[in-house]
Amino acid sequence: MSNEEKNLYELAGRIYDLDEEVYHELGSSLGRVFNEKKEHCIEETFHLMQERNQAHILRNELALISNMARTIQDRAARHRIMVKYDAILKEVADLPASYIKGDILDKKMATLNALNLRSRFSENDHLIICIGRTYGCGGSEIGFTLADSLKINYYDVEIFDEVLKRLEVEKEQIHDRGGYPYQKGAKDSRYLHTSPAFAPTPKSTLKEKFREFNRYHGLPKRDAVFFNQSDLICDMARKEDFVVMGRCADAILTNNRIPHISIFITAPLEQRVRRVMEVRGYDKEKEARKFLTKLDKEHVKYYKFYTGRNWGKARNYDLCINSASYGIQGSVDLIMRMIDKKEERE
Amino acid sequence: MILRKIVAFLGCSMAVLASSPVTALAAQGAAGTSKTISPWFCIPFAGLLFCIAVLPLIKPEWWESHQPLAVAFWSLLFILPFGFVFGAETAAENVLECLVNDYLTFIVLLFGLFCVAGNITMEGDLAGSPRVNIILLAIGTLLSSFIGTTGASMLMVRPVIKMNAWRRHRSHIMVFFIFLISNLGGSLTPIGDPPLLMGFSRGVPFFWSLHLFPIMLFNMAVLLFIFYWVDRKAYCRDIARGRKPDISRPGTKIKIRGIHNLIFLVMIVAAVILSGVLPDMPLFKTAEGHVRGIPVFGEVVLGFPSVIEILIILAAAFLSFKTTSPNIRKKNHFTWGAIKEVAVLFIGIFITMQPALAILKGMGSQLGLTENYQMFWVTGLLSSFLDNTPTYLVFLTTAGAIGFTSGLATTLGTVPAKMLTAISCGAVFMGANTYIGNAPNFMVKAISDENGIHMPSFFGYIRWSLTVLIPVFLLDTLLFFR
Repeated sequence: MSNEEKNLYELAGRIYDLDEEVYHELGSSLGRVFNEKKEHCIEETFHLMQERNQAHILRNELALISNMARTIQDRAARHRIMVKYDAILKEVADLPASYIKGDILDKKMATLNALNLRSRFSENDHLIICIGRTYGCGGSEIGFTLADSLKINYYDVEIFDEVLKRLEVEKEQIHDRGGYPYQKGAKDSRYLHTSPAFAPTPKSTLKEKFREFNRYHGLPKRDAVFFNQSDLICDMARKEDFVVMGRCADAILTNNRIPHISIFITAPLEQRVRRVMEVRGYDKEKEARKFLTKLDKEHVKYYKFYTGRNWGKARNYDLCINSASYGIQGSVDLIMRMIDKKEERE
Repeated sequence: MILRKIVAFLGCSMAVLASSPVTALAAQGAAGTSKTISPWFCIPFAGLLFCIAVLPLIKPEWWESHQPLAVAFWSLLFILPFGFVFGAETAAENVLECLVNDYLTFIVLLFGLFCVAGNITMEGDLAGSPRVNIILLAIGTLLSSFIGTTGASMLMVRPVIKMNAWRRHRSHIMVFFIFLISNLGGSLTPIGDPPLLMGFSRGVPFFWSLHLFPIMLFNMAVLLFIFYWVDRKAYCRDIARGRKPDISRPGTKIKIRGIHNLIFLVMIVAAVILSGVLPDMPLFKTAEGHVRGIPVFGEVVLGFPSVIEILIILAAAFLSFKTTSPNIRKKNHFTWGAIKEVAVLFIGIFITMQPALAILKGMGSQLGLTENYQMFWVTGLLSSFLDNTPTYLVFLTTAGAIGFTSGLATTLGTVPAKMLTAISCGAVFMGANTYIGNAPNFMVKAISDENGIHMPSFFGYIRWSLTVLIPVFLLDTLLFFR
């Protein structure tokens, strides 16, 4: 990091601290300007200061802090804070128009570049592999085999169990809607108990709806589960290495600045249809095709809703694999080669 | 960009001033009677609006600290030439009449509701989502008719801000809050919005406004539908950026502190009702039929009903402060900033809009308005910038003077129910078109600005009303006022 960048980070930190100080001084419970985690806010402010076309957003945010600061009742505290604010405002106004002249490099993207995998994970970071996949492409098996090869945990349905414990929800009401449920110690039979992804939830009574409203803080159940799941994924990412299947984990970890590798696995529809007919016991190809098309649509919708990204678009992943070209073991080998672990394990 | 907006605003203002039928007719009138107000007296009003709209964009810091100066400048720019043309005594009477009889009760009511609502706080972990927001907006809208748009706005604004504190994109929530709770919701009873109270004191039955329920319901449903999709998009953007509410504790616990202040809220509502009822009682009338009161200057009298209203409201505010822990106000981030800003700006607005109202009053009957849709739009568009109470009264008088034989018998003449509906809806609904259309609009904006929400500028807000409200009002015209 250059000296200029260090200074910007330091300034961003001071802006965050100023907002925090104003908020504490007011004792308000109505919210503040920077309402995310400290490090996220600082990084965001840093990027705002770096980019010319974003400068107005930073100015607006500073204006909001000053709006709040001016309402502090204690004169001395208000004066102290306004002096700090003025100093920061002056520094922001004196910033060069842009730091990104003449370079197309997006530093945010560059740090997540697949070629930089070695430098992506520091000693304190855990190896987290997020796999997104289309139904019927063998993604779950690839994920499980990969986790097995790396001797790390594989999370799919387990995540839901944890989430449900947190939410105190009856376990039997929730299915893993993302793919084949994995059962420890029942490696071969796990493909047999398939439940349809994104199946419509059964209708509930008004009383149940009211109970749900209360239980999930007024949020739709799906959103509440997603938020709890996000917390859980981030907590786990700080403690252990793992492979996680679906759950928008790649976007969640990106938003929380947690290093990870994101992989998307798919296969041509014909292969997936054939596989689904075998696994789910569909007699008619048309039915299987319809089932997969519907699932893909639901996946696209779900992923777009929670991440704002397009599901399956190559630009969102470090690696996209056509599993029909490599097979399950071939895909695992490819990923292992990419993350440079094969030799190490062997 | 800002310069283009300024030029557009100036162009529009001048075009309206030069080409509006009101102006043309007023000019003709001026030729006939030497004491008719010239439309040029409206320039200070346009100037003040210009400042409110533009200065926060180009000189925000200066505007914040010099608002009283700008207001004094434009007020004097009206008062001094007015005094020069009509005499100092007439000018003083005119200004005092507006300050004592319009502004004083207006600001005391706002002050009372601001104080009382600021002493009620909601603690809980309900997370602001499109669904929760729709419920809150719907409750607030319905509440507006029973405790007034200002009362409901002040009561609901902090819980809405608090529940959505986790979100980044939330200014649209406050915009729809202004549309629905601060304006539209007040259409069902005379307590809801001052124009309807004025209608009630002119002979419109108290519960007649309930006839507006289907129209209000339609507008509410359409606006909430639009809101849902706008909010859902913003909610998704927030989630996609990694924002999430704190729902780590299972179950929702909502606790309202300072709930006893609802008694003081009821006190204020009762004071407002009394101010509409008392002037018609013989006890408060002189032999000539004028309202008894304290003489202030010349013919300016502060009516006893207004004095009673003011005393009750101030007592409610005082008791509310005395009986509530300061900690609640701290939690609510209660400051005087919002009410101070509204008090300063609206004193200027009230003074400088007098010529526009006088012209309107003089020319109302000559505008040739006979259709319901005309009444709806003209009352509405003027209410967007002028005080909606006198605007309502002007058009109610105009409608009463047309000479209809069937309809509602008011003290101003018989008015067909559909026309009264159009006038009422225009006055109440279209106050939402601008920040200055209705006092709670500005209060909500000021409170939001103080609590980390970046509210749209004057023009930004008008863009919202042009894209959301005007199409809804066009639908209203087609369905209800044809």
